[in-house]
Amino acid sequence: MMRFVHFIVVAALVAAAVYVYRIKFESAVQAERVAKLGAEIKRERDAIAALRAEWAQLENPVRIEALVQRHLSLKMLDPTQIEQFDSLPERPPMPAPPSSDAIATIIDGLEPAVPTGVAAGPLPTTPRTAR
Amino acid sequence: MTRRPDVATSAPGWHRRMIQSLLYGRGVDRARKAQARLGLALVGFALVYAIIAIRLVLYAATADTHMVRRGGSSDAVATARPDIIDRNGEILATDIKTPSLFAEPRRIIDPDEATELLAGVLPDLDSREVRDRLGSKRGFAWLKRDITPVQQQEVHRLGVPGIGFLPENKRVYPNGNEFSHVIGHVNIDNQGIAGIEKWIDSRGLADLHRAGFGVDREQEPVRLGVDLRVQHALHDELVAARGKYRADAAAGIVLDVRTGEIVSMVSVPDYNPNNPREALEPNRINRLTTGVYEMGSTFKALTIAMALDSGKVTLNSSFDARGSLRYGHFNISDYHAQNRVLTVPEIFTYSSNVGAAKIALGQGVENHKAFLSKVGQLDRLRTELPESAEPIVPKHWGELNTVTIAFGHGLSVAPLQSVMGVAAIVNGGYLIPPTFLKRSQAEARAIAKRVVKPETSAAMRYLMRLNAEKGTATKADVKGFYVGGKTGTAEKVINGHYSKNRLMTDFMAVLPADEPRFLVLIMLDEPKPIAETHGFATSGWNAAPVTAKVITRIAPLLGLDPRFDLPSAEHLILASMKETR
Repeated sequence: MMRFVHFIVVAALVAAAVYVYRIKFESAVQAERVAKLGAEIKRERDAIAALRAEWAQLENPVRIEALVQRHLSLKMLDPTQIEQFDSLPERPPMPAPPSSDAIATIIDGLEPAVPTGVAAGPLPTTPRTAR
Repeated sequence: MTRRPDVATSAPGWHRRMIQSLLYGRGVDRARKAQARLGLALVGFALVYAIIAIRLVLYAATADTHMVRRGGSSDAVATARPDIIDRNGEILATDIKTPSLFAEPRRIIDPDEATELLAGVLPDLDSREVRDRLGSKRGFAWLKRDITPVQQQEVHRLGVPGIGFLPENKRVYPNGNEFSHVIGHVNIDNQGIAGIEKWIDSRGLADLHRAGFGVDREQEPVRLGVDLRVQHALHDELVAARGKYRADAAAGIVLDVRTGEIVSMVSVPDYNPNNPREALEPNRINRLTTGVYEMGSTFKALTIAMALDSGKVTLNSSFDARGSLRYGHFNISDYHAQNRVLTVPEIFTYSSNVGAAKIALGQGVENHKAFLSKVGQLDRLRTELPESAEPIVPKHWGELNTVTIAFGHGLSVAPLQSVMGVAAIVNGGYLIPPTFLKRSQAEARAIAKRVVKPETSAAMRYLMRLNAEKGTATKADVKGFYVGGKTGTAEKVINGHYSKNRLMTDFMAVLPADEPRFLVLIMLDEPKPIAETHGFATSGWNAAPVTAKVITRIAPLLGLDPRFDLPSAEHLILASMKETR
């Protein structure tokens, strides 16, 4: 009986030693990872804070206004330019689709060989010249 | 101690048996007893190990917090502060991390060489001071706070032992001058020393830091009631107005009359909180809370409200405003003298000093005093801002004081205070202490105090609107926003005498006058007459047009819709008043 108990105890001791070692090792690895992630989070947060501060500085009304005055011909808003949604006139009825595209007929008249698909498409907008 | 007898199973000698029986008694089975004891020991040890195991688990579970605290306190010496955001969530103040240079003088081998090397990289360092600090036997000394990352790299490359960097929190204000008087600023250790920043500290942040917490960024941002865009518009217009009228100073407030929130507050000249040294110049004080002024004719609004609220005077009452009012050796005359009997609306729109004085006298000195006290004009007004000024109230308040205070002379109040008083008169009669924080209408209603009847409030709105239609405030009428207002011009006291040409002008506008949402106060300190104003420097010529410009810009930002088809004050406000009666 005692011998059996001894046996079990010794076995348990060895198993516990191995298990504890493994846990200890694993926890050290995890703790390191936690510390690393924590530092990373902190760095990211600081970076976010710095970027947010920079953003706020960039979208500061003083700066925007100065830029607008330099590069755009926008003017101050006048109260008369504001219109309520309710006071908008009723939407006019949609004009009936023209029975024939006037320009298309002219083009067709000029060059009968042009495929209809091109003539019916939207007119190409003139490319904006870069200032 | 007795010698332990050898437990032998095979035929023990007689003396042994005798000793055994002496020691343990007769008929005891030694072998079984030993087994039981062994079992007991086994259980005991198992228990001890179990306790150790549990303790280990507990340590593992709680060890974390210890580690975090140790890690947290080592970096960031300057305390972290919560962000400050405006009512729409735009950032007004935030923290960024910057490196700071420190030294451990005990570990420095050659202070002279180290000083020389550092001076090469950081030319703005004071070499002698650095030399003294490095030569001391201290464990720690700051060399330079808040250096740039490039400088950090260069110092690092020098390879001087005993010199290191600490990341520190640095407060930045991305909007520069615009919010200086509202937000205030911090010192080098990131502690609030003015404005809302100081208020944040007084709310317990300072204690938190002393205990070693609060270095992390995990703090709820402080949301203010101010609006970045409105503030910008007001600031822009006031700077322009100060230049145009060559005024010493210009200031303005926009107050939500239903909640008491200060949507915007500007006092120029101001300073850049990123460079707080400018704040020390006396000309840059916040005139709206730390200065007290005689508000001039805007006070007539309070005088007339008092008279109407008492019931003794109605809008149809009339007062003799012929000539000037002699009082002792004082002579009170009107700026826009009509020299006839005036009704109450006429007194208001012509801004008659004599009329206002007679109205106040009719109420009596005690009533006048009690009413002004009720609308908060006689006590120091405290807001979140630590800076506040006590109104200058006459010590012996006689009839003469009532006469002059009726038209805004002889009682100096903080402009914010007078805004609170007028707001109470136009918003239906509720006195709401102003705040810089966000506040809902329900919260405002809970702390509001009724000071005048709703009918009085409606009558006052009518008078203010009438004044913008055909009184002294016509230049402040912005088409579409139904502005009502009152001008105020006070002569400044120079060497104990009222000066005729050094004026303080202000304008109090309510918009829209039929259902007030906001009150705008514009104040100019010593505006000069210019060609455009035909040589006048009174409020109607400078403060009123500035107010109109401000309203044109801010009303759309405040969510007010322009309405162009509104009838005159007589039909809109006065008629609705009669209906409700």
